Amino acid sequence: MTTSYSNGSLVRDDAWFGFKMSSVAAFMMAALLVIPSALTVIYSLHNVPANGSSFGEFVGFRNYEIIFTSSVFWRSVWVTLVFSVGFVVLSTVIGFAMALLLNQNFFGRGVARALLIIPWATPWLVIGILWKWYADGSVGGLNALLVGLGLTSEYKNFLADPNTALFIAIIAAVWRQASFAGILLLAGLQTLPSELYEAAELDGANWLQRLQNVTIPWLRPVLITVTVLNIIYAFLQFDVIFAMTQGGPGDATQVLSVLIYRQLFVVTQIGLGSALAVVLGVAALIGGLVTVKLLYRGESAT
Amino acid sequence: MTIRSLFFGKPGGRGSRSLAQSIALYGALIVFALWILLPVWYLVVSSLITPQQLGSRSFSFFPSSITFDNYLSVLTGSTGGAGFGSTDVGARLLPAIGQSFFVSAVLVVLNLLVAGSAAYALSRYPFPGSRQFELAVIATRVVPAIAIIGPFFVAFRVIGVLNSPWALIISYNVFTLPLAIMILKNYFDQMPREIEEAAKIDGAGRLLTLWIIILPIAKPGLVAAGVLIFLEAWSEFFYSLVLTNQLTVPPLLAGFQSVQQFNWNALAAATVMSMLPPVLLVMIFQRNVVGSLTAGVGK
Repeated sequence: MTTSYSNGSLVRDDAWFGFKMSSVAAFMMAALLVIPSALTVIYSLHNVPANGSSFGEFVGFRNYEIIFTSSVFWRSVWVTLVFSVGFVVLSTVIGFAMALLLNQNFFGRGVARALLIIPWATPWLVIGILWKWYADGSVGGLNALLVGLGLTSEYKNFLADPNTALFIAIIAAVWRQASFAGILLLAGLQTLPSELYEAAELDGANWLQRLQNVTIPWLRPVLITVTVLNIIYAFLQFDVIFAMTQGGPGDATQVLSVLIYRQLFVVTQIGLGSALAVVLGVAALIGGLVTVKLLYRGESAT
Repeated sequence: MTIRSLFFGKPGGRGSRSLAQSIALYGALIVFALWILLPVWYLVVSSLITPQQLGSRSFSFFPSSITFDNYLSVLTGSTGGAGFGSTDVGARLLPAIGQSFFVSAVLVVLNLLVAGSAAYALSRYPFPGSRQFELAVIATRVVPAIAIIGPFFVAFRVIGVLNSPWALIISYNVFTLPLAIMILKNYFDQMPREIEEAAKIDGAGRLLTLWIIILPIAKPGLVAAGVLIFLEAWSEFFYSLVLTNQLTVPPLLAGFQSVQQFNWNALAAATVMSMLPPVLLVMIFQRNVVGSLTAGVGK
């Protein structure tokens, strides 16, 4: 039947079909992402009234000026960075270790892999609640465990102490994300041909050399994906910290997303909150792009 | 040496493992199991004991007696026992679970249709600008929900869907739609094109080919995408917190926490119940989901 068309018009026909098939999704994404993002930028340039009924008075870059000269903002940036570095490093490393472990042959491997799913499938908010009470000072299981092991002598309220609250929040988030990394890396390990490994062993490569020269190069694409995703999840994390500390005690765990939430919906400074949101959005975008570029640059050699 | 060979031994080398290696392997597995299970076990135990047992020091990981009153309390709103008190989360948990299911199910159907056709088009019928569209889809992964929530809030108030499931069904598309497109596009890319070409030669049109040839073969991919959409929608907290009044399960649990003198045992029971659907769903479809997950996260 294709003979009745000239080749060129068939190609045009195909493209037109593809365009029509994509149009609903493209329209929805434009309506749901482009328009609200643009509106947020516009809000950020205005002194928006608390009820958000109008844009309010145009103030140019005043909101940005206020943000960049505010110590609360910079403190929040610092907390976000500490959280992100801890989260990304621990999630990736623990996930990698779990994947290597579960890739071994042992009795009960199926059950062990099913365990890996539990933290990943649990909603982020539930993880926050779970760990909040696990680490609680009066009824906490973590305290019972530490006392039982003889590591501490008395129950301690980790989340009420500014020195430990951020650390516990990181561990809670890592508990989830390490499993996610583990699942992806394990899937990658399973595609590694065992001949590759045995050849390296015959060549006399020790475990570190095999890790460096066989396993990591093979997993490189997955490791890149996992790291980039972990960075994104770290930057945009809200649920776990909201459930555990709401940013407290004081501002010890007030990452940027929590600060923005407070500005927008607690003190309803919509203009300021929107400006903060724009800053976070741009930072996430740049962070994501730079990471992808850096990581992929090394890969182009292969 | 044993720890090293534990992680870097031959993948298939069960028979050749020495005793020391076995001990190291199972030791590491115990640490792994405790890392994952201890917090969950603590939650489950808490949901099965009385407030008195929970408050006693030191907390007993193996309680001497258990009770199901906490579950009764969150399911019916009250228990016979005065020790538990009444909790209004009880009256609202089941409706919230219902709303969570409704929102998630509508999104699964809607996204499979919309994302499915877009993904198929991107894979088979590229058009001018389709590459840019694909990149835009990937880029949306880094847009923070918080950066666009203000306009959503205002728009939904204006059109009057604030505090209704429709607010969530509309806004969740921001993250579920790109996810579904990425998973399905990758899935279609891996399917052989010869089948479609054969169908074309037999005289079937593009839509007919999609309907009777592609859809049946693509079922595992559609199931995987469906499960992941459900998981994302079920777990979503932020939009639901801001755009509704504790309509779905996560904001209800969060709100329950901030009530003065709440009953932690009942919250533990509610929390266990909120974890079950997503965990079970993923475990059932484990095979489909894990394969697609690597695709969905963007290569």
